[in-house]
Amino acid sequence: MNPYITASLLFGLLLGTTITTTSTHWLIAWMGLEINTLAIIPLMAQQHHPRAIEATTKYFLTQAAAAATLLLAATTNAWMTGQWELQQATHPVPTTMITIALALKIGLAPLHTWLPEVMQGLDLTTGLILATWQKIAPFSLLLQIQPNNQTLLILLAILSMLVGGWGGLNQTQVRKILAYSSIAHLGWMVIILQFSPTLAVMTLALYIIMTSSTFLAFMMNKTTTIGTLTISWAKTPIISSLMPLILLSLGGLPPLTGFMPKWLILQELTKQDLGMTATLAALSALLSLYFYLRLSYAMTLTISPNNLTGTLPWRTQTNKKTLPTAILLSSSILLLPLTPEVLTLFNT
Amino acid sequence: MFYALVFLLLGMLVVMIVLSTNPAPFYGVFNLVLVALLCCGASVLHGGTFLSLVLLMIYMGGMLVVFIYSSALSADKDPKAPTGWQVVLFFFGYFFFVFGILYTNMVLDEEVWWGVSGEMDWDAVFRGDMDGVSLMYSSGGGVLLLGAWVLLLTLLVVLELVRGLGRGALRAV
Repeated sequence: MNPYITASLLFGLLLGTTITTTSTHWLIAWMGLEINTLAIIPLMAQQHHPRAIEATTKYFLTQAAAAATLLLAATTNAWMTGQWELQQATHPVPTTMITIALALKIGLAPLHTWLPEVMQGLDLTTGLILATWQKIAPFSLLLQIQPNNQTLLILLAILSMLVGGWGGLNQTQVRKILAYSSIAHLGWMVIILQFSPTLAVMTLALYIIMTSSTFLAFMMNKTTTIGTLTISWAKTPIISSLMPLILLSLGGLPPLTGFMPKWLILQELTKQDLGMTATLAALSALLSLYFYLRLSYAMTLTISPNNLTGTLPWRTQTNKKTLPTAILLSSSILLLPLTPEVLTLFNT
Repeated sequence: MFYALVFLLLGMLVVMIVLSTNPAPFYGVFNLVLVALLCCGASVLHGGTFLSLVLLMIYMGGMLVVFIYSSALSADKDPKAPTGWQVVLFFFGYFFFVFGILYTNMVLDEEVWWGVSGEMDWDAVFRGDMDGVSLMYSSGGGVLLLGAWVLLLTLLVVLELVRGLGRGALRAV
C-alpha cells in the first residue's frame, strides 16, 4: 500500500475516535464511528487474501448494521425530544436501541459472533488495532448514555463473560482465543458501567495494555496457532518465560496487573448488593483462565523437542522494535502495587 | 390529504417488508427505490419539501449506480422473486411486529410528537430544513469540512479496495 494512503487511513482512524469521544452531538458521534469503520477497511483487506477479504466484508456488514441502528435510534431520539445531546437520550426506545447497536459494535454477547471470525482473518497488527483502538469510540458512547433500567446491560455483560470463557475453550487458533478473551473482558467493563464509570474506563485502559502486550509478544514470535507457540522458547526465551505472567494477568490472577480491575469490580458489585452477579462474574473468569493457562502451558511450561539447529534462533538479533513491547509487557505484569495511583488517574 | 398520507405510509411498510423478505438483491434494489419514493412523498405531505427533494435527487443518483452495479456484479441469471408460503409468513410476521411496536410505543404514548420540525408553526417564515442548509454553510462550516473529508476518505478506501485487478478485493474467489 502506498505510504501516503496508509498515512491518511491511520489519520482517519485517529480522527474518527477523537471525534466520537469528544462530541456531544449524536450525529457527529455517529460520523466519527463511520470514519473509524471506513478507515480500517483497506487496512484489513491489504493482504488481498480471500480470508482477509471475507473478514473485511463481515466486519463492514456488522459495523454498517450497527451504525445504521445507532443513527436510527439517534434520529428517533431527536424526533421525539427535539435535541441531539449525547447525554440526553431519555426515552427508553432509543436508549435500548443505542445500547444494542453499541453492543454489536464492540462485540458483546449475544451480538459477538462476528468478532472471532473477523479476528481470524486478519494479521496480528490489524488484529491489535481491532481489539484495542476500535473499542474506544463505541465504549465512550456506551459510557455516556443513561440507561433506564439495569437489566439489559447486566444481561449483556454476564452473557459476554460466559460466552467469552466458553467459546475460547476449544480453540487452537491464538487470534480466536484473543477474540474470545476480548469478549469476556468487555463483559467485565460493561457489568460495572452503570455503578462506577471510573472502574469501567480503568478496566478498558488495563485491558488495552495487557492485550497490546500479548499481541506484540505474538508478533515478535510470528505465532498464530498453539502449535507454533511451542517452539517460541527457541526464538525469544525471555518473552516466552514472561508470557505466562501476561496471560495470567489477562486471566486476572494476583499479584499481576489484571487482578486490579477484577478485584475492584467485584468489590463494587458487592457494595451494590449484587452478590449473585459478582459470584457469576468471578466464576466465569475461571473459564477464561483455562485457555490462558493452556496457552502458557504450550508456550512455556513445556519445552517441545526440536532439532539442534532449530534451537538456535535466539542467538540472532531481532530487527523489530522492542521498546513498546518492553514497556507494555512490564506494565501489564507489575502495576498492581500502584492500584491507588491508577484509580486516582481515572477518577473523574 | 390524510388518505394520501395513509396510503404512502402503508405502502412504505409493505415495500419495506417485501424488501426484507426478498431473496434476491436484484429486486431488493428496486424495492429500495420504491421505499425512497414513498418516504419522500410522506415527508412532503408533512411539509419537508426541500429535504425530500434533496434526498430524492441524491438517493436516486446513488441507487442508480447501486442498481447498475448489483445487476452487473451479482451474476444472478434468474433472480428469485419473493414467492412461497414462507414469504407470506414473514410478511405477516413483520407487519404485526412493526405495527405492534408502533402502536404500543407511539400511539399509546401521547407525549411523543412525531412530526417534521416546524410543522406545527404554520405561519413561520423559515422552514427547518432550509434553515438547516443555510446554517451548514455558516456556523456549521466545520461539519461541512468534516463531511468533505469523509467523502475523500471514502474515495480513497474504495480505490484502495478495488485496486490491483486480479489481486484486488473484487474478484471471483
